[in-house]
Amino acid sequence: MNTRDQLIAGGENGKSIIAGDSGRSLFLKRITTRNEFTRMPPEGSRVPPEKITVLKQWIEAGLPWEQGISLGNSSWEPPLKPRLITLPSPIKDRSHPIDRLLDTGLKIRRLPIPPPISDSVFLRRVSLDTIGLLPSPTDLQSFLNDPKEDKRVRIIDKLLAQDVAYADHWLTTWNDLLRNDYTGTGFITKGRNQITTWLYESLRTNKPYDLFVQQLISPTAESAGFIDGIKWRGEVNSSQTREIQFAQNVSQVFLGINMKCASCHDSFIDRWTLSEAYNLAAIYAEQPLELNRCDKPTGKIATPKWMFPEIGDIDPAAPKAERLKQLAVLMTHPDNGRFTRTVVNRIWHRLMGRGIVHPVDAMHTKPWNEDLLDYLAVRFAEDGYDLRKFMRFVMTSQAYQARTVIQQAEPTEGYVYTGPIAKRMTAEQFLDAIWQITGTQPLTPTAQVDRAERLAKPSHDPAQDTKLVKPVPVTAKWIWHDGRGSMKAELRKTFSLKETPHTAIVLATCDNAFTMKVNGKLVATSNDWQAPVRFNIASHLIKGENSIQVAGEMFGGSAGFICQLIINHPDTQRVINTDRTWQVRKADDAWQTALEVHAYGNGPWGRILDGKTVTPGSFDLTGPPVRAALMQNDFLMRSLGRPHRDQVVTTRPSALTTLQAIDLANDEILTNYLSDGAKRIVGQKRTRDELIDWCYVYALSREPTTGERTVLIEVLGDGKDPVAIEDLLWIIFMQPEFQIVR
Amino acid sequence: MTIQEQLARREFLKQLRTASLAALSCNATRALGNIQGTQQPAAKADSCILIWMAGGMAAPDTFDPKAYSPFKKGLAVDNILSTFPAIDTSVDNIKITAGLENVAQIMDRGTLIRSAVQPDLGSILHSRHQYHWHTGYVPPLTVAAPHIGAWMAKVLGPKNPVVPPFINIGQRLEGVGEKEELKAFTTAGFFGSEFGPMNLPFPQDAVRSVQPPRGMEPGRFGNRYRHYRKLIEQNPNRDLMSDFQQESMLRSMDAAHRLLQSKEKHAFDLTREPKDSFERYDTGRFGRGCLLARRLVEQGARFVEVTTEYIPFIHWDTHENGHSTVARVKKEIDRPIAQLILDLEARGLLDRTLVVIASEFSRDMMIEGVPGSTARDQSRAPSKTLEEPKHYGLHRHFTGGTSVAMFGGGTKKGYLYGKTADQRPLLAVENPVPVMDLHATIFAAMGISPQTAYEVEKRPFYATRDGHGKPVLDIFA
Repeated sequence: MNTRDQLIAGGENGKSIIAGDSGRSLFLKRITTRNEFTRMPPEGSRVPPEKITVLKQWIEAGLPWEQGISLGNSSWEPPLKPRLITLPSPIKDRSHPIDRLLDTGLKIRRLPIPPPISDSVFLRRVSLDTIGLLPSPTDLQSFLNDPKEDKRVRIIDKLLAQDVAYADHWLTTWNDLLRNDYTGTGFITKGRNQITTWLYESLRTNKPYDLFVQQLISPTAESAGFIDGIKWRGEVNSSQTREIQFAQNVSQVFLGINMKCASCHDSFIDRWTLSEAYNLAAIYAEQPLELNRCDKPTGKIATPKWMFPEIGDIDPAAPKAERLKQLAVLMTHPDNGRFTRTVVNRIWHRLMGRGIVHPVDAMHTKPWNEDLLDYLAVRFAEDGYDLRKFMRFVMTSQAYQARTVIQQAEPTEGYVYTGPIAKRMTAEQFLDAIWQITGTQPLTPTAQVDRAERLAKPSHDPAQDTKLVKPVPVTAKWIWHDGRGSMKAELRKTFSLKETPHTAIVLATCDNAFTMKVNGKLVATSNDWQAPVRFNIASHLIKGENSIQVAGEMFGGSAGFICQLIINHPDTQRVINTDRTWQVRKADDAWQTALEVHAYGNGPWGRILDGKTVTPGSFDLTGPPVRAALMQNDFLMRSLGRPHRDQVVTTRPSALTTLQAIDLANDEILTNYLSDGAKRIVGQKRTRDELIDWCYVYALSREPTTGERTVLIEVLGDGKDPVAIEDLLWIIFMQPEFQIVR
Repeated sequence: MTIQEQLARREFLKQLRTASLAALSCNATRALGNIQGTQQPAAKADSCILIWMAGGMAAPDTFDPKAYSPFKKGLAVDNILSTFPAIDTSVDNIKITAGLENVAQIMDRGTLIRSAVQPDLGSILHSRHQYHWHTGYVPPLTVAAPHIGAWMAKVLGPKNPVVPPFINIGQRLEGVGEKEELKAFTTAGFFGSEFGPMNLPFPQDAVRSVQPPRGMEPGRFGNRYRHYRKLIEQNPNRDLMSDFQQESMLRSMDAAHRLLQSKEKHAFDLTREPKDSFERYDTGRFGRGCLLARRLVEQGARFVEVTTEYIPFIHWDTHENGHSTVARVKKEIDRPIAQLILDLEARGLLDRTLVVIASEFSRDMMIEGVPGSTARDQSRAPSKTLEEPKHYGLHRHFTGGTSVAMFGGGTKKGYLYGKTADQRPLLAVENPVPVMDLHATIFAAMGISPQTAYEVEKRPFYATRDGHGKPVLDIFA
């Protein structure tokens, strides 16, 4: 309320001031009331009586107000449209647009330009920031040996081109933002559909961000989990229905707008109103949506509408799917500068340690460098909403390649840019780094993602993406032998392919256990019939004759194996089902026609393959080593700050807490990684000094100093004792220098 | 010394003293309580033990006996209120039920509330009601709500700086049903994990949480840490370590190792308890949990929860065979609870320790939720008449009248508060106490105003919903 008009208009409680009538003015009531919930100001000392008299007189006089005067600067409202700015001239040879914009600010404040970092610090930083992994000692050495001047740009490009590693790393950020990979409360009724497969593929193929968001807002079955939110069992507060979750999540994630306040009542902290929150929610609603204020019905029905009619409107009469499509278009409209600013600010925060607007979800606050934010947003759109290109743009600036600043305390509202800020490793980065050095990562991921190497460049066509894993109704049969004389069955099927397929998704289970080989190569094992396996075997299939061989075993009771194989070529699809065309044999017997034990859906197993979360094959041997983001949250990761994702998470805590430190000191999971890793490392037969250098260079991208080396030798002894190596690893991993991306 | 002054000190290696600073310096939340001038009441207790009867402890079969019907084949179940007979206690006007003979003898040390009530929420889901009970808020929420233990850790801090202020005993968070739901409230929420629980699911293994990793000699453990410190001293980028982030990491590592090498860690070690005392508690995991709670409170723990453990359809979660299950659970809880109260009293700790026995709701033979509820009947042994033992017991979730017992911490001794009807529906008919007011009461005893608030995302978040919780002052002496 910074202008006369705003003051008079008031909020949802009605007019704030009635000119000429101080007695009926809410404004005056609030500053004089004894009620601690309604009093103004809500905290601190009260307005002194003599000032209240002055205010009273001023209201009685009809609120005289000088033209054009606005109180305070909190009335700053982010512009909607993208804003073109003129770049200032470069200082010295620092011509990168980011440097030109930042250097100007530093110059005005007479602050020094942050000094550049060494190649080794740069490589560690850029590697952890792009793909979330440490550079190996070999990578580091060849980078340091590279004499060419453009080597930093080339390594940025090389890292960003590692599509699987990039997706493995950025999955963490987007899972947090989209509340994906959520197994929490409310899920008991299967209220949340995961979008992992879609999300991973989108990251892997660097789907343009506008398209990415369009597919989230106006989704296919694979990406619908985000807008559908979490369905709860029982009654929920009206500010947490799926419709309101939609309004809150869409506005928070894509626009940095907090609708949480406004979904209960007109917001006290920004301009959003209850109607705006409900109108946005109504776009998603199947039924007319009644406004509830603080969980009480108001009788008013919301109109499907979004917050920025300047860009365009939603047709309230259109069906839901159409309204979502319209919203998707409006959200990603070229005139929506808030959309691009929000995402570039989030990426900036990840790379530079602090948002240009911070907190990153409070996009109504004034950026510390408005020109910079606006420039980046426009550039991002011009570059085709290409996230990797944007990261490349930031990373090639000298600002990104500068030394991190030393912060005495967490920066607050009066933050002034002096250089990049170091970032704490996420739980996932921490584990990935430990796994890299110790080689103790799990063999198979729990996330259903396609990490197989790709020869052909994947298409960006969204229709292609959905084809990838589109479920096909199961018509396969449960097959086995006659059940007499053997608990085991070998099953096989041969088929011929004209081309190698784009994808080939196996969905299979066996009561009770099986292993599967494709063309002689082991691809899956399972011993839980209630957890079907599902994964891509495309890389094992060849043009011509192919064979699938299954070794099944029953532990008692019923026996049966069922499998559906969906083979996708760019334009055609073929489904291979278990049925009478398969062959079966008992141990050492002759092959014979498989027996169809039951049709799918019959028998004791029900519709076990339907819509269930299925685990990937235990031996999907096609991808690089498993990464932490692909694993379910465990005790250690939770302890290190991987969230539960009941809420959208945009920033993880930066500090290590005492309880976390206790876990780092004696947690069993970590201890096992270290002791298993130590045993592996002993087997690698390095001399003591080689071992010290290798560990240190891998962990910190630098060699130990003489002083450090003395300590490390003290710990390590002759380098042959796994126990000593375990301790060496621990003291290195516990260094703040290791746990921080600086 | 203010936090700023502390942080301004650059001699970080000499400054590794208080663990909580790490949290304070990183935490985005800001106390409104004192800024708004909310008066914190004088504390009546310094520690709190919550004895959590997970799964829905049926009041008519425990602390609130009604007309008793023994098992008789063919008996109409809608006649049955209690499946245990009433017994006398050390207080004239309080009777509880058979199987709680030891607890009956300590009823003169505390207050019994028989009129706690919960919202129905349309569908009874234990972990959701437990979330509500433990945080005061009903999920789903836009902000992660802190557990009441986290409120105590945040507002009051540790009582002994070496002992974690919030300790959670007996609940596994992995390998049990609804585990993700349990995790959702077993947390400090937006306060951040510094105020979160130290989880000790197996009391007998508790000591492992404060010991070197399994298989590591204490000598090696100590050496490892000394080498870690030496390596930091040799770090060529020492200046970077004065950065707040790195400094707080070092401080937390130090605080952790202080606990791990302190005398207080012996409190976690049940093998150090004299044999006869250990045996008095040892009815199983829960009993040992009570013993661990006592040992931790003796060493200055702020908030300890001990649970019978929530596992769907196990222990108090009686969907069939209710009577025989409750008879068994009572055997596990009766002795240790009584012993805990007596031991605290004998050590002079009961006056300043509030012990609360509570559950997410009660149970009834017939009614799911409250009369008129839309909640789905979840009995697994529905029958109009008693035909087999599995029919005998309170198999529906009842939210209209629940018992809560409180001992010590300034509560009246031998006092009865609230009342439920004597005929079905067994609703609270006198002085109903909703979760919010129950929390306000517990907070009041601990010296925390129910209006205490912290700012999150620029909004106030209160210790009780919107600051509206009213303590039941009548139960305090």
